[in-house]
Amino acid sequence: KNSIQTTLMPSYKLSYFNGRGVGEVSRLIFAAAGQKYEDVRYEVDQWPAYKAEMPLGQMPVLEVDGIKLPQSAAIARFLAKQFHLAGKDNFEQAKVDAVVDTIYDTYKAWAPSRFGEDPVKKEALSKKFFGEELPKQLQNLETLGKLYGNGGHFFVGNQLTWADLFFHTITETLLGINADCLNNFPWLKQNRAEVEKQPKIAEYLKNRSKTEL
Amino acid sequence: MSTYKLYYFNVRGRGEVARLIFAAADQKYEDIRYEREEWVSHKSEMPLGQMPVLEYNGVKLPQSAAINRFLANQFHLAGKDNFDQAKVDAVVDTINDMISKYRPIRMEQDEAKQKELTKTFLADELPKHLQNLEGLGKLYGSGGSFFVGNNLTWADLYFYDIAQHILELDENIFNNYPWLKENRQQVEKQPKIAEYLKNRPKTSH
Repeated sequence: KNSIQTTLMPSYKLSYFNGRGVGEVSRLIFAAAGQKYEDVRYEVDQWPAYKAEMPLGQMPVLEVDGIKLPQSAAIARFLAKQFHLAGKDNFEQAKVDAVVDTIYDTYKAWAPSRFGEDPVKKEALSKKFFGEELPKQLQNLETLGKLYGNGGHFFVGNQLTWADLFFHTITETLLGINADCLNNFPWLKQNRAEVEKQPKIAEYLKNRSKTEL
Repeated sequence: MSTYKLYYFNVRGRGEVARLIFAAADQKYEDIRYEREEWVSHKSEMPLGQMPVLEYNGVKLPQSAAINRFLANQFHLAGKDNFDQAKVDAVVDTINDMISKYRPIRMEQDEAKQKELTKTFLADELPKHLQNLEGLGKLYGSGGSFFVGNNLTWADLYFYDIAQHILELDENIFNNYPWLKENRQQVEKQPKIAEYLKNRPKTSH
Protein backbone atom coordinates (compact mmCIF):
# COMPACT_ATOMS: atom_id res chain seq x y z
CA LYS A 1 0.00 0.00 0.00
CA ASN A 2 1.16 3.47 -0.71
CA SER A 3 -1.24 5.66 1.26
CA ILE A 4 -1.81 6.34 4.93
CA GLN A 5 -5.09 6.26 6.76
CA THR A 6 -5.55 9.80 7.97
CA THR A 7 -8.91 9.06 9.55
CA LEU A 8 -7.39 6.73 12.14
CA MET A 9 -4.44 7.82 14.27
CA PRO A 10 -1.28 7.29 12.17
CA SER A 11 1.91 6.20 13.88
CA TYR A 12 4.80 8.64 13.58
CA LYS A 13 8.53 7.92 13.85
CA LEU A 14 11.11 10.69 13.39
CA SER A 15 14.74 9.66 12.80
CA TYR A 16 17.47 12.29 13.16
CA PHE A 17 20.73 13.08 14.91
CA ASN A 18 20.85 13.79 18.62
CA GLY A 19 20.67 17.54 18.14
CA ARG A 20 18.32 20.28 16.93
CA GLY A 21 19.54 21.17 13.42
CA VAL A 22 16.79 20.95 10.81
CA GLY A 23 14.94 18.19 12.67
CA GLU A 24 13.99 20.18 15.77
CA VAL A 25 11.18 22.13 14.13
CA SER A 26 9.34 18.81 13.68
CA ARG A 27 9.87 17.93 17.35
CA LEU A 28 8.48 21.37 18.27
CA ILE A 29 5.44 20.75 16.05
CA PHE A 30 4.78 17.39 17.76
CA ALA A 31 5.16 19.15 21.14
CA ALA A 32 2.83 22.03 20.24
CA ALA A 33 0.25 19.50 19.02
CA GLY A 34 0.61 17.28 22.07
CA GLN A 35 1.19 14.38 19.63
CA LYS A 36 3.01 11.19 20.63
CA TYR A 37 5.76 9.95 18.30
CA GLU A 38 8.90 7.82 18.31
CA ASP A 39 11.84 10.25 18.64
CA VAL A 40 14.75 8.22 17.22
CA ARG A 41 18.14 9.91 17.72
CA TYR A 42 21.38 8.58 16.23
CA GLU A 43 24.81 9.66 17.41
CA VAL A 44 27.17 10.57 14.56
CA ASP A 45 29.05 7.25 14.81
CA GLN A 46 25.84 5.16 14.91
CA TRP A 47 24.32 6.78 11.83
CA PRO A 48 26.37 5.08 9.05
CA ALA A 49 24.79 1.71 9.93
CA TYR A 50 21.33 3.12 9.18
CA LYS A 51 22.14 5.28 6.16
CA ALA A 52 21.11 2.68 3.58
CA GLU A 53 17.62 2.39 5.10
CA MET A 54 16.79 6.02 4.30
CA PRO A 55 15.38 7.01 0.88
CA LEU A 56 18.13 9.56 0.17
CA GLY A 57 20.74 8.28 2.62
CA GLN A 58 20.05 11.35 4.77
CA MET A 59 18.11 12.44 7.84
CA PRO A 60 15.70 13.64 9.11
CA VAL A 61 13.24 11.02 7.89
CA LEU A 62 9.64 10.74 9.03
CA GLU A 63 8.01 7.34 8.92
CA VAL A 64 4.20 7.46 8.83
CA ASP A 65 2.42 4.11 9.07
CA GLY A 66 5.58 2.51 7.72
CA ILE A 67 6.16 4.83 4.73
CA LYS A 68 9.33 6.91 4.79
CA LEU A 69 9.45 10.62 3.91
CA PRO A 70 12.80 12.48 3.62
CA GLN A 71 13.59 16.24 3.49
CA SER A 72 13.21 18.33 6.64
CA ALA A 73 10.91 21.00 5.15
CA ALA A 74 8.55 18.46 3.58
CA ILE A 75 8.36 16.63 6.91
CA ALA A 76 7.73 19.75 8.97
CA ARG A 77 5.13 21.13 6.57
CA PHE A 78 3.27 17.79 6.53
CA LEU A 79 3.19 17.60 10.33
CA ALA A 80 2.14 21.26 10.58
CA LYS A 81 -0.76 20.56 8.21
CA GLN A 82 -1.76 17.42 10.11
CA PHE A 83 -1.94 19.42 13.37
CA HIS A 84 -3.33 22.73 12.06
CA LEU A 85 -0.12 24.70 12.54
CA ALA A 86 0.41 25.48 8.85
CA GLY A 87 -1.95 28.41 8.21
CA LYS A 88 -5.74 28.45 7.88
CA ASP A 89 -6.09 28.41 4.07
CA ASN A 90 -3.93 28.04 0.92
CA PHE A 91 -2.79 31.67 0.88
CA GLU A 92 -1.95 31.79 4.60
CA GLN A 93 -0.01 28.55 4.16
CA ALA A 94 1.84 30.24 1.30
CA LYS A 95 2.74 33.20 3.55
CA VAL A 96 4.02 30.72 6.16
CA ASP A 97 6.06 28.99 3.43
CA ALA A 98 7.54 32.34 2.34
CA VAL A 99 8.68 33.04 5.92
CA VAL A 100 10.09 29.51 6.24
CA ASP A 101 11.97 29.86 2.93
CA THR A 102 13.48 33.12 4.20
CA ILE A 103 14.57 31.40 7.43
CA TYR A 104 16.14 28.61 5.32
CA ASP A 105 17.98 31.28 3.28
CA THR A 106 19.41 32.51 6.59
CA TYR A 107 20.40 29.00 7.68
CA LYS A 108 22.09 28.28 4.34
CA ALA A 109 23.99 31.58 4.50
CA TRP A 110 25.27 30.63 7.96
CA ALA A 111 26.25 27.00 7.29
CA PRO A 112 29.63 27.57 5.49
CA SER A 113 30.99 29.47 8.51
CA ARG A 114 30.14 26.55 10.75
CA PHE A 115 30.73 23.40 8.77
CA GLY A 116 33.85 24.19 6.73
CA GLU A 117 37.34 22.75 7.30
CA ASP A 118 39.67 25.77 7.60
CA PRO A 119 39.33 27.56 10.99
CA VAL A 120 40.73 30.89 9.73
CA LYS A 121 38.35 30.87 6.78
CA LYS A 122 35.46 29.91 9.07
CA GLU A 123 36.18 32.85 11.38
CA ALA A 124 36.16 35.30 8.46
CA LEU A 125 32.94 33.81 7.09
CA SER A 126 31.33 33.99 10.53
CA LYS A 127 32.24 37.66 10.91
CA LYS A 128 30.78 38.43 7.49
CA PHE A 129 27.63 36.46 8.24
CA PHE A 130 26.89 38.06 11.62
CA GLY A 131 27.98 41.52 10.45
CA GLU A 132 26.34 41.74 7.03
CA GLU A 133 24.23 38.81 5.91
CA LEU A 134 22.27 38.05 9.07
CA PRO A 135 21.03 41.63 9.67
CA LYS A 136 19.74 41.67 6.08
CA GLN A 137 17.86 38.39 6.54
CA LEU A 138 16.48 39.46 9.94
CA GLN A 139 15.26 42.70 8.37
CA ASN A 140 13.49 40.62 5.69
CA LEU A 141 11.89 38.46 8.36
CA GLU A 142 10.65 41.47 10.33
CA THR A 143 9.22 42.85 7.09
CA LEU A 144 7.27 39.65 6.46
CA GLY A 145 6.08 39.46 10.06
CA LYS A 146 4.72 42.99 9.85
CA LEU A 147 3.21 42.36 6.40
CA TYR A 148 1.49 39.05 7.22
CA GLY A 149 1.16 39.09 11.02
CA ASN A 150 -2.13 41.04 11.21
CA GLY A 151 -0.57 43.36 13.80
CA GLY A 152 0.24 40.50 16.18
CA HIS A 153 3.43 38.81 17.31
CA PHE A 154 3.27 35.68 15.18
CA PHE A 155 4.60 35.67 11.62
CA VAL A 156 1.25 34.91 9.94
CA GLY A 157 -2.35 35.60 10.78
CA ASN A 158 -2.17 36.14 14.52
CA GLN A 159 -1.68 32.44 15.26
CA LEU A 160 1.21 30.16 16.05
CA THR A 161 2.43 28.37 12.91
CA TRP A 162 5.49 26.28 12.15
CA ALA A 163 7.18 29.44 10.79
CA ASP A 164 7.37 30.73 14.39
CA LEU A 165 8.66 27.36 15.64
CA PHE A 166 11.31 27.15 12.90
CA PHE A 167 12.47 30.71 13.58
CA HIS A 168 12.78 29.90 17.28
CA THR A 169 15.00 26.87 16.82
CA ILE A 170 17.29 28.34 14.16
CA THR A 171 17.84 31.52 16.16
CA GLU A 172 18.50 29.42 19.29
CA THR A 173 21.67 28.26 17.55
CA LEU A 174 22.62 31.74 16.30
CA LEU A 175 22.06 33.29 19.76
CA GLY A 176 24.34 30.62 21.18
CA ILE A 177 27.15 31.94 19.00
CA ASN A 178 26.32 35.65 19.23
CA ALA A 179 23.95 36.52 22.08
CA ASP A 180 23.37 40.07 20.76
CA CYS A 181 22.38 39.20 17.20
CA LEU A 182 18.68 40.03 17.70
CA ASN A 183 19.19 43.24 19.71
CA ASN A 184 18.21 45.48 16.79
CA PHE A 185 15.09 43.44 16.01
CA PRO A 186 12.51 43.90 18.79
CA TRP A 187 9.68 42.37 16.76
CA LEU A 188 11.64 39.17 16.27
CA LYS A 189 12.65 39.08 19.93
CA GLN A 190 8.98 39.43 20.91
CA ASN A 191 8.05 36.67 18.45
CA ARG A 192 10.47 34.27 20.19
CA ALA A 193 9.07 35.25 23.57
CA GLU A 194 5.52 34.50 22.40
CA VAL A 195 6.58 31.04 21.21
CA GLU A 196 8.21 30.32 24.58
CA LYS A 197 5.01 31.36 26.40
CA GLN A 198 2.90 28.67 24.70
CA PRO A 199 2.28 26.17 27.54
CA LYS A 200 3.10 22.97 25.63
CA ILE A 201 6.20 24.60 24.11
CA ALA A 202 7.33 25.96 27.49
CA GLU A 203 6.99 22.46 28.94
CA TYR A 204 8.93 20.91 26.05
CA LEU A 205 11.72 23.52 26.18
CA LYS A 206 12.09 23.04 29.94
CA ASN A 207 12.63 19.31 29.55
CA ARG A 208 14.66 18.98 26.35
CA SER A 209 18.39 18.30 26.51
CA LYS A 210 20.60 21.25 25.59
CA THR A 211 22.64 20.73 22.40
CA GLU A 212 24.97 23.17 20.67
CA LEU A 213 23.45 22.62 17.24
CA MET B 1 -12.91 36.01 -9.45
CA SER B 2 -9.36 35.84 -8.07
CA THR B 3 -6.65 37.81 -9.82
CA TYR B 4 -3.09 36.58 -10.29
CA LYS B 5 -0.05 38.65 -11.27
CA LEU B 6 3.42 37.15 -11.59
CA TYR B 7 6.39 39.55 -11.47
CA TYR B 8 9.73 38.26 -12.75
CA PHE B 9 12.53 38.90 -15.24
CA ASN B 10 12.11 38.08 -18.90
CA VAL B 11 13.74 34.66 -18.45
CA ARG B 12 12.72 31.19 -17.24
CA GLY B 13 14.96 31.07 -14.17
CA ARG B 14 13.00 30.88 -10.93
CA GLY B 15 9.76 32.04 -12.48
CA GLU B 16 9.06 29.45 -15.13
CA VAL B 17 7.59 26.75 -12.90
CA ALA B 18 4.80 29.14 -11.89
CA ARG B 19 4.15 29.84 -15.58
CA LEU B 20 4.02 26.09 -16.28
CA ILE B 21 1.52 25.62 -13.43
CA PHE B 22 -0.70 28.41 -14.77
CA ALA B 23 -0.49 26.79 -18.24
CA ALA B 24 -1.33 23.30 -16.96
CA ALA B 25 -4.30 24.76 -15.07
CA ASP B 26 -5.35 26.91 -18.03
CA GLN B 27 -5.52 29.84 -15.61
CA LYS B 28 -5.34 33.45 -16.83
CA TYR B 29 -2.75 35.65 -15.13
CA GLU B 30 -0.73 38.79 -15.78
CA ASP B 31 2.76 37.62 -16.82
CA ILE B 32 4.83 40.72 -15.95
CA ARG B 33 8.42 40.51 -17.20
CA TYR B 34 10.90 43.22 -16.22
CA GLU B 35 14.10 43.82 -18.16
CA ARG B 36 17.11 44.40 -15.86
CA GLU B 37 17.04 48.21 -16.22
CA GLU B 38 13.29 48.39 -15.51
CA TRP B 39 13.62 46.21 -12.42
CA VAL B 40 15.71 48.79 -10.54
CA SER B 41 12.75 51.14 -10.24
CA HIS B 42 10.42 48.36 -9.05
CA LYS B 43 12.70 46.66 -6.50
CA SER B 44 11.32 48.60 -3.52
CA GLU B 45 7.76 47.52 -4.40
CA MET B 46 8.58 43.90 -3.59
CA PRO B 47 8.49 42.63 0.01
CA LEU B 48 12.08 41.30 -0.01
CA GLY B 49 13.40 43.39 -2.90
CA GLN B 50 13.54 40.24 -5.03
CA MET B 51 11.55 38.39 -7.68
CA PRO B 52 9.61 36.29 -8.49
CA VAL B 53 6.67 37.74 -6.62
CA LEU B 54 3.07 36.61 -6.95
CA GLU B 55 0.35 39.15 -6.38
CA TYR B 56 -2.86 37.34 -5.42
CA ASN B 57 -5.96 39.52 -5.08
CA GLY B 58 -3.67 42.50 -4.46
CA VAL B 59 -1.45 40.89 -1.80
CA LYS B 60 2.22 40.20 -2.63
CA LEU B 61 3.95 36.88 -1.93
CA PRO B 62 7.72 36.39 -2.39
CA GLN B 63 9.85 33.18 -2.58
CA SER B 64 9.49 31.01 -5.67
CA ALA B 65 8.83 27.73 -3.82
CA ALA B 66 6.04 29.29 -1.74
CA ILE B 67 4.54 30.78 -4.91
CA ASN B 68 4.74 27.50 -6.84
CA ARG B 69 3.25 25.43 -4.03
CA PHE B 70 0.40 27.92 -3.52
CA LEU B 71 -0.51 27.90 -7.21
CA ALA B 72 -0.28 24.10 -7.33
CA ASN B 73 -2.62 23.89 -4.33
CA GLN B 74 -5.06 26.31 -5.93
CA PHE B 75 -5.22 24.29 -9.14
CA HIS B 76 -5.08 20.74 -7.73
CA LEU B 77 -1.54 20.03 -8.94
CA ALA B 78 -0.03 19.58 -5.48
CA GLY B 79 -1.02 16.03 -4.50
CA LYS B 80 -4.36 14.58 -3.43
CA ASP B 81 -3.93 14.65 0.37
CA ASN B 82 -1.46 15.88 3.01
CA PHE B 83 0.85 12.89 2.66
CA ASP B 84 0.93 12.93 -1.18
CA GLN B 85 1.61 16.67 -0.95
CA ALA B 86 4.51 15.88 1.41
CA LYS B 87 5.94 13.38 -1.11
CA VAL B 88 5.68 16.07 -3.81
CA ASP B 89 7.50 18.50 -1.48
CA ALA B 90 10.24 15.91 -0.84
CA VAL B 91 10.79 15.49 -4.60
CA VAL B 92 10.90 19.27 -5.06
CA ASP B 93 13.42 19.66 -2.23
CA THR B 94 15.58 16.95 -3.81
CA ILE B 95 15.50 18.77 -7.16
CA ASN B 96 16.53 21.92 -5.25
CA ASP B 97 19.47 20.08 -3.66
CA MET B 98 20.63 19.19 -7.18
CA ILE B 99 20.28 22.63 -8.70
CA SER B 100 21.81 24.40 -5.69
CA LYS B 101 25.07 22.59 -6.49
CA TYR B 102 24.91 23.80 -10.08
CA ARG B 103 23.96 27.47 -9.63
CA PRO B 104 27.38 28.58 -8.24
CA ILE B 105 29.02 27.01 -11.29
CA ARG B 106 26.73 29.03 -13.55
CA MET B 107 27.83 32.19 -11.71
CA GLU B 108 31.57 31.49 -12.22
CA GLN B 109 33.05 34.22 -14.40
CA ASP B 110 36.33 32.55 -15.37
CA GLU B 111 35.52 30.41 -18.42
CA ALA B 112 38.28 27.88 -17.87
CA LYS B 113 37.36 27.44 -14.22
CA GLN B 114 33.68 27.10 -15.13
CA LYS B 115 34.51 24.33 -17.62
CA GLU B 116 36.46 22.47 -14.93
CA LEU B 117 33.71 22.88 -12.31
CA THR B 118 31.10 21.70 -14.82
CA LYS B 119 33.14 18.58 -15.56
CA THR B 120 33.38 17.78 -11.85
CA PHE B 121 29.68 18.46 -11.35
CA LEU B 122 28.68 16.11 -14.16
CA ALA B 123 31.03 13.33 -13.06
CA ASP B 124 30.89 13.48 -9.26
CA GLU B 125 27.81 15.39 -8.13
CA LEU B 126 24.97 15.03 -10.62
CA PRO B 127 24.67 11.21 -10.79
CA LYS B 128 23.76 10.79 -7.13
CA HIS B 129 21.05 13.46 -7.37
CA LEU B 130 19.52 11.85 -10.47
CA GLN B 131 19.66 8.45 -8.78
CA ASN B 132 17.94 9.95 -5.73
CA LEU B 133 15.20 11.40 -7.94
CA GLU B 134 14.64 8.12 -9.79
CA GLY B 135 14.52 6.45 -6.39
CA LEU B 136 11.77 8.77 -5.17
CA GLY B 137 9.81 8.41 -8.41
CA LYS B 138 9.85 4.65 -8.04
CA LEU B 139 9.00 4.84 -4.32
CA TYR B 140 6.10 7.31 -4.62
CA GLY B 141 5.00 7.06 -8.25
CA SER B 142 2.58 4.12 -7.84
CA GLY B 143 4.23 2.37 -10.77
CA GLY B 144 3.54 5.22 -13.19
CA SER B 145 5.65 7.87 -14.91
CA PHE B 146 4.83 10.81 -12.66
CA PHE B 147 6.76 11.40 -9.45
CA VAL B 148 3.81 11.01 -7.08
CA GLY B 149 0.63 9.00 -7.17
CA ASN B 150 0.10 8.54 -10.91
CA ASN B 151 -0.95 12.17 -11.46
CA LEU B 152 0.81 15.22 -12.84
CA THR B 153 1.96 17.43 -9.97
CA TRP B 154 4.19 20.48 -9.80
CA ALA B 155 7.10 18.15 -8.91
CA ASP B 156 6.96 16.89 -12.52
CA LEU B 157 6.75 20.44 -13.88
CA TYR B 158 9.65 21.53 -11.68
CA PHE B 159 11.83 18.62 -12.77
CA TYR B 160 10.94 19.31 -16.40
CA ASP B 161 12.06 22.92 -16.07
CA ILE B 162 15.29 22.30 -14.12
CA ALA B 163 16.26 19.39 -16.38
CA GLN B 164 16.39 21.79 -19.31
CA HIS B 165 19.40 23.51 -17.69
CA ILE B 166 21.08 20.14 -17.11
CA LEU B 167 20.49 19.10 -20.73
CA GLU B 168 22.41 22.19 -21.84
CA LEU B 169 25.45 20.69 -20.09
CA ASP B 170 24.98 17.21 -21.55
CA GLU B 171 22.15 16.58 -23.99
CA ASN B 172 22.43 12.81 -23.53
CA ILE B 173 22.36 12.81 -19.74
CA PHE B 174 18.98 11.12 -19.40
CA ASN B 175 19.92 8.16 -21.59
CA ASN B 176 21.27 6.66 -18.36
CA TYR B 177 18.10 7.50 -16.45
CA PRO B 178 15.17 5.99 -18.39
CA TRP B 179 12.59 6.68 -15.69
CA LEU B 180 13.43 10.40 -15.67
CA LYS B 181 13.48 10.48 -19.46
CA GLU B 182 9.99 8.97 -19.61
CA ASN B 183 8.78 11.38 -16.90
CA ARG B 184 9.79 14.40 -18.99
CA GLN B 185 8.18 12.95 -22.08
CA GLN B 186 4.91 12.47 -20.19
CA VAL B 187 5.01 16.11 -19.11
CA GLU B 188 5.62 17.31 -22.67
CA LYS B 189 2.68 15.23 -23.91
CA GLN B 190 0.14 17.01 -21.67
CA PRO B 191 -1.87 19.03 -24.23
CA LYS B 192 -1.89 22.34 -22.32
CA ILE B 193 1.84 22.01 -21.57
CA ALA B 194 2.66 21.12 -25.18
CA GLU B 195 0.73 24.21 -26.32
CA TYR B 196 2.52 26.44 -23.80
CA LEU B 197 5.99 25.11 -24.68
CA LYS B 198 5.34 25.71 -28.36
CA ASN B 199 4.36 29.35 -27.84
CA ARG B 200 6.41 30.61 -24.90
CA PRO B 201 9.11 33.26 -25.44
CA LYS B 202 12.57 31.81 -26.11
CA THR B 203 14.97 33.14 -23.47
CA SER B 204 18.64 32.55 -22.68
CA HIS B 205 17.99 30.82 -19.33
